[in-house]
Amino acid sequence: METPQQQIQVDLGNLMAFDPHHSFPSIPSSREELVKECITKGTELVQAIANSLFNLPSTEDIDGPIVQLPRPETKLPRQKHLPVPKPPTKWETFAKTKGIKNRKRDKIAYDEPTETWKRRFGYDRANDENSVPIIEAKENDVPGEDPFAKRREDKKKRVEKQDKNRLQNLKQAAKIGALPSHVQLAATRLPITGTQSAAKKFSKDELGNVAGIAATATASGGKFDKKLPGEKPPKHKGKFRKFLPVVEGKGKQSQEKEQTDKVLNKLISKNSHEIFNVDKAVNMYNVRKDKKRKNKPGMSSSTLKPKKNIQKKPLKKGSSSKEKGK
Amino acid sequence: MRPLDETETTTVFEKLFKFTGNNLKNIVENPSHEGPDPGSGRYCFRLHKNKVYYVSESLVKRATNIARTQLVSLGTCIGRFTHGGKFHLTVQCLSLLASNAKHKVWLKPTSEMSFLYGNHVLKGGLGRITENIVPGDGVVVFSMSDVHLGFGIAAKSTQDCRKLDPNGIVVLHQTDIGEYLRMEDEL
Repeated sequence: METPQQQIQVDLGNLMAFDPHHSFPSIPSSREELVKECITKGTELVQAIANSLFNLPSTEDIDGPIVQLPRPETKLPRQKHLPVPKPPTKWETFAKTKGIKNRKRDKIAYDEPTETWKRRFGYDRANDENSVPIIEAKENDVPGEDPFAKRREDKKKRVEKQDKNRLQNLKQAAKIGALPSHVQLAATRLPITGTQSAAKKFSKDELGNVAGIAATATASGGKFDKKLPGEKPPKHKGKFRKFLPVVEGKGKQSQEKEQTDKVLNKLISKNSHEIFNVDKAVNMYNVRKDKKRKNKPGMSSSTLKPKKNIQKKPLKKGSSSKEKGK
Repeated sequence: MRPLDETETTTVFEKLFKFTGNNLKNIVENPSHEGPDPGSGRYCFRLHKNKVYYVSESLVKRATNIARTQLVSLGTCIGRFTHGGKFHLTVQCLSLLASNAKHKVWLKPTSEMSFLYGNHVLKGGLGRITENIVPGDGVVVFSMSDVHLGFGIAAKSTQDCRKLDPNGIVVLHQTDIGEYLRMEDEL
């Protein structure tokens, strides 16, 4: 409902109301007055939303009427930035300068040795180099060399080269921030807390400590192992317990608080099933159902019984009176 | 004096949770207004000579000036760790528990003295009891004038309490404020 003076724009898709003609008639003198005025204005807007909500056609449900909200009208801005276009790879730049176009190939190719059509790659492929039984010797072949092994070596080298090129392309893309999203996720290892903090880089000291701990994980406690050149002895010999500092300095979030929060949340979630009192909920539900049945006029004609006085008898001892203090 | 380890924190919190339930959050995140610093610090737990103390952070900062051998106590002692690593709550944490307790029991005036001497709570002495007590729950014992007298472990659930004979034990005694007189040396 819109009165002619105030035209409040209601966007039901976002459950939002906006008054474009609002202005404070006078600058409010105190903070409390400002708060009061804001609250009255806010109630008007919420009332406008409620009015339009109740004007929508509704369907009946067990819990009450349900309305279908229309699509939102106001466009909200993007949450994240537009994705950066990824830079062309080394091959792509080369192909562009040379004018090489990508040609589409068929999935099936003709296999000369068996004279059938086989797939172009994969198991039992056409013109497979590795499956030839005999390799003819050439003039420049050294007698002691195994040509089959040589072929395998060549293939390995080709695959390694391809991997190296792929990594270089990714590094180029990462330099301008255009990594594909699955690689980005794997690279930053999002912490469990969900905050986008920088990935933890292990320092030389931390790595040294961990190496020391790992070195003692042998059957004789690492005593008789030969030490590598440059390896320092472990810092803490014997049983070592690290404690949090007694008084937390200012700056980063307190480690002690993190620890206590972690323990507290674990404890509360472990016992969260006890928060919900099933019996009480069942009782409340049954009482509500009975009340509804009493209110329906048509049903009660057949169940005319003398109304029993259903009241809880106050117990003499150990009466349960107060609710759980929360 | 040092902060609690993670395992130690879990043991302490579990013991407290038996009495307070979810109000444990209020205890841990209580803003403290002690000390001249602006902005509320918090309360924290510190371990000193196997006793766990509940202190405000501003007090801890100042207590670091006292040598370890000469520091006797700070803040409120809530309990101690035994030699075997178990944690026992002492009577000094009663006021902390009483304000955040989930399960309460009120005693009749006649049986107050019996409880303060260290006896268990019998059904005949029970005035009021909160609902939904499970046996094994932590319970805080009050007098009818809402003075906290001590705490203990519930032996029976609220339903079973009603069916008991008057000499049945309802709450097993753990500590009471009479210990301030009886066990003055050990506190």
